[in-house]
Amino acid sequence: MSDAKIAPEGLEVARTLDAKGLSCPMPLLRTKKEIGKINSGEILEVLGTDPGSRNDIPGWCARAGHEYLGEREEEGFIRFFIKKK
Amino acid sequence: MSESIMKDKVKNFFKILCQTEWNATVAGVIVALLSILIMAWWRPWGAVGAIRNWGEWILYGVGLFDKPGDVLINSGSVIGVGFLAGAFISACLGNDFSFKFPPPWEFIKAIIAGILMGIGSAFAGGCNVGGMYNAIGNLAANGFTMWLGLIIGVILGLKYIYWEMEHITWGTSGGKNIDFPYGLKIVIGIIGIVLVIWGAYQYSDMSDNYAASLSGILLISAGLGYTMQRGRWCMVQAFREPHMTGDCTLAKSVILSILVLAVGCAVLKYAVPQRGSAVAVQSVLMDAVDELEPDEIQDEDLADAVEDVVDASEQAVIAARRVLDPVNYVRGTFGWGGVLGGFLFGLGAMFAGGCGSGTLWRVGEGQIKLWLVVPFFGISNALMVKLFKAVHMEGTGATHEGSKLGMHLYLPDALGYGGTLLLIVLAMTAWYIIVDWNEDSNKLIVEM
Repeated sequence: MSDAKIAPEGLEVARTLDAKGLSCPMPLLRTKKEIGKINSGEILEVLGTDPGSRNDIPGWCARAGHEYLGEREEEGFIRFFIKKK
Repeated sequence: MSESIMKDKVKNFFKILCQTEWNATVAGVIVALLSILIMAWWRPWGAVGAIRNWGEWILYGVGLFDKPGDVLINSGSVIGVGFLAGAFISACLGNDFSFKFPPPWEFIKAIIAGILMGIGSAFAGGCNVGGMYNAIGNLAANGFTMWLGLIIGVILGLKYIYWEMEHITWGTSGGKNIDFPYGLKIVIGIIGIVLVIWGAYQYSDMSDNYAASLSGILLISAGLGYTMQRGRWCMVQAFREPHMTGDCTLAKSVILSILVLAVGCAVLKYAVPQRGSAVAVQSVLMDAVDELEPDEIQDEDLADAVEDVVDASEQAVIAARRVLDPVNYVRGTFGWGGVLGGFLFGLGAMFAGGCGSGTLWRVGEGQIKLWLVVPFFGISNALMVKLFKAVHMEGTGATHEGSKLGMHLYLPDALGYGGTLLLIVLAMTAWYIIVDWNEDSNKLIVEM
């Protein structure tokens, strides 16, 4: 877990998805849906609390071809950053 | 210098054991080995036995049910307690534990999920563990009917979730998370380990054999809970992911796990009765006693002792049969009951976001949604099982004579042990090849 990829600071986010408190598989499915609402090259930020997302989101990005930029740990939740392909 | 290297190594060891997510394949093999061990110890494990017992306590609390088995004595419930403790310990040590409050709509889904899973596991004769995983592992035909139902239920559940994301906007955001300092969680995790070990010693000190045996049940099920939380090893995910993202990592892991389990169970069930020590000892003993002509023994103490030894040997045979008699773990649900049960259970598991075992380990990491699933699951299952018993839905006796839900079939009775293992290997191979092919072709993915 301390090996998690850390996102650079100050990323410009096009859209934010609040998936706090949601459990598997909702965070990933909502992410899949939200990414459809931004343009190629823009960044989607996902706020989550499910420990499973740490594996699910990067794994899905690799499969779907989006660039996983990393996570940033906040007080009580994690921000995940995805750049749309 | 070497001291700091040592410190790093210790840190790394802790990280691998307690913090990083375990590789799915390794977790699956450990789950299979622990499942074999718990069976060798006493009985196969399951999640619904515990959840039903807890549901019966709620129903007893409102005056609807007779007093159920004690939560810390009923073996099914102790499995659940151990499993929860293991998952909680893992979540604390790995910093995964926090109170995760979902948005309001998820609470409604949790209630529906619990009810569906309770009804489904009554029809199928168990949840994904007792009705499918351990059923196939125990060479029971009904495991395959539930497996089929689970696939259909999970696909339909996925379609429902897609529909929900388009049409339901109320209460879908605004979840909360209440976290604690990591240091505190580590301390609580260590206290948890001490308590589980202390509990096992308490059981082993009990004079009653049944209660004393719970020591191993508690420890092995804690190991299962720990492994499944650490590996986020989720059976509903194995069924769902191939149709959602195409990823088949967990499906392959469950396939391997079932194969290891089936081989282990076949060894226990075939080999142990063949060389069953209790049976052998009893027959040698009876021959010896016959030669002694016990009725003619003059010494009263000696006669009593001989009688006690004969009684003990009979008890040992009964116990050996109870543990390993295949009949005890085959259900009369190889038919529409298993398929319908699997379907309802799979649908419910999609609403819940976890199967029977997956629900319990998520409870252990503080997912409040799953905390709500458990009582509804338990109550609906307790009511259904009571109803089914009253109308003899699953027939009568150990062989489920006259079951309305399907056949009671112990596969080796029809195919022999070799044939049964071959069937399981072929079925798992087919499943493996299909999900692997789908990972590249994406043909079975349900589109959003």
